[in-house]
Amino acid sequence: MAVFTRTTKNLILKIDEFFDNIELGLLVFREGIKSYLENDMESFSRHLQKVDTLEGNADMLQRSIENEMITHSILPQHREEVVKLIEELDEIIDSVKRSLYEINIEMPQIPSSLNKDFISLTETSTNAAEELIPAARAYFKAPYTVREKLLKVYYFEKETDKLSLNTKKRIFQNMNDIDLAHKAHLRYIIHHIENISDKAQKAADLLSAMAIKIVM
Amino acid sequence: MILFFLTSGLFLGWSLGANDASNVFGSAVGSKMVSFRKAAIIASIAVIFGAVLQGAGASDTLGKLGAVNALGGSFTLALAAALCVYLMTKFSLPVSTTQAIVGAIIGWNLFTGNRTDSATLSKIVITWISGPVLGALFAVLLYILLNKIKKNLKIHLISFESYIRTGLIVVGAFGAYSLGANNIANVMGVFVPVFNLQDLNLGLFSLSSSQQLFLLGSLAIAFGIMTYSKKVMETVGANIVELTAESALVVVLAGSLVLFIFSSTGLSDFFVKTGLPAIPMVPISSSQVIVGCVIGIGLYKGVRNINFKLLGEIALGWVATPVMSGLIAFFSLFFMKNIFGIEVGHKIAEGLKPSDSVPVIPDENMSGIIKYLLLGIVVAGLLTIVYYYLLERKKTRELKLSEEKFWKNML
Repeated sequence: MAVFTRTTKNLILKIDEFFDNIELGLLVFREGIKSYLENDMESFSRHLQKVDTLEGNADMLQRSIENEMITHSILPQHREEVVKLIEELDEIIDSVKRSLYEINIEMPQIPSSLNKDFISLTETSTNAAEELIPAARAYFKAPYTVREKLLKVYYFEKETDKLSLNTKKRIFQNMNDIDLAHKAHLRYIIHHIENISDKAQKAADLLSAMAIKIVM
Repeated sequence: MILFFLTSGLFLGWSLGANDASNVFGSAVGSKMVSFRKAAIIASIAVIFGAVLQGAGASDTLGKLGAVNALGGSFTLALAAALCVYLMTKFSLPVSTTQAIVGAIIGWNLFTGNRTDSATLSKIVITWISGPVLGALFAVLLYILLNKIKKNLKIHLISFESYIRTGLIVVGAFGAYSLGANNIANVMGVFVPVFNLQDLNLGLFSLSSSQQLFLLGSLAIAFGIMTYSKKVMETVGANIVELTAESALVVVLAGSLVLFIFSSTGLSDFFVKTGLPAIPMVPISSSQVIVGCVIGIGLYKGVRNINFKLLGEIALGWVATPVMSGLIAFFSLFFMKNIFGIEVGHKIAEGLKPSDSVPVIPDENMSGIIKYLLLGIVVAGLLTIVYYYLLERKKTRELKLSEEKFWKNML
């Protein structure tokens, strides 16, 4: 039984650490985008490196959590869903890393007039994902509170959609000084940023169903 | 020869182990919270302890209902009960070993012309009905308590599940102990009046004649658990666990408490001391108590589709099983006596204790067998502990190595 208690404690620590990595990854992403918009490439590279490390850690933790849950037959009734949730959260940090790498490779020319829009879009999109983390933590400790926490995720996801739509409209309808290829490239970058909140919403849907199941 | 006569009781024990162990560990195994191997080992050890230490109470009550005074009679009754259980199971009728053995004893009373003690009989029947009702009540109270604890303490889901898992093992062990204590009477109760073995001194403690019988019976139950209960646990258990793991814990604990109450002479004595009426020591059907507990939680949760057909079948079983078993016993005794010429018992004279008419069987071989069995159990227990320790160590090491290898290849 002592072996089992130790396993349980280790697993709880690993899950918490995994959530910490996702949360930090989102913060670093936000700062990374700001650095890029401010043309501070040194800081941007540093943030990119940090996200890369955090994503690697999250991957390692994800595999370890899955292994331990299966080997020690932990949460047999909810294991499948917990594993799926961890995968969905890992998708978020994967997406964060991918977006920063894309920006680093493609070096999109973002007009300074769009800086504010891009910063708001990034903040709102990452907010949606950030609000998901307390809800995911609550699933393990107070499943009754999960659904109310998820409301913020849905709110920020909708806001992201609106901001993305407005920014795209602005680019395509009001900015006649840039060519179509440039516009399309900007749209592509917007999609990348917007994708984070979409992934957060997908995870939120799963978490919401999981919470209902556990509370019933 | 003695061992041959015991075979029908041992067979009954085997079938009890195969079927009824699922009532205590089915939910844990069915939900994969506890492995079958672990459950079977714990249940077997607990059943043996329960039967040997606390099996006397319920067995005495069966003795009062009808003290079988010939070895052939005991053999036939156990066989008749086993046959009744087999036939009713084949025709998909709900059956309980408890009710079958009571019916068989009444059949013996009728055949030999002995009077059936109506006070004991009514005590037994009332307990059959009150067992599931009490189980339902306990289940609701425990369910409310557990939910309050869960809500107020905000325990991490994984820790909570770990407590539930430990709880299922502890409660399962308690349930198996209570099952052994209460249901050993079904397996060996009819042999107790007819066996009068010498006390077996084992140095630290000694085993009385009935305890030696209970040990043999409980070993048969343990054998039934080890060899045949896996499938029952995985299928029957899975149905129970639809209630969720914590409800399963509550159901098993409530059921075990009921079985314990109806087999604890210590608790009954305590009741008498405090001025309350004595608790009847009666073997009851663990399956029916568990059904009572499940229905109790269902009613509390407001489930509307209670399976009234199942309830009706249980009530029918209270009447149909003893009647059928009694008839089989009556005719079997007739055949045993008149065709095979085996002594199956006789009328006990008024004022004479049933045990007075039974001779002491000075069987040295029997004591030897039991001594070796005990030694075997101790050795097997120690080997199992070592095996489990090594298995756990190997599993952890392999997991660590595979993780290290994976990341070494990745980076």
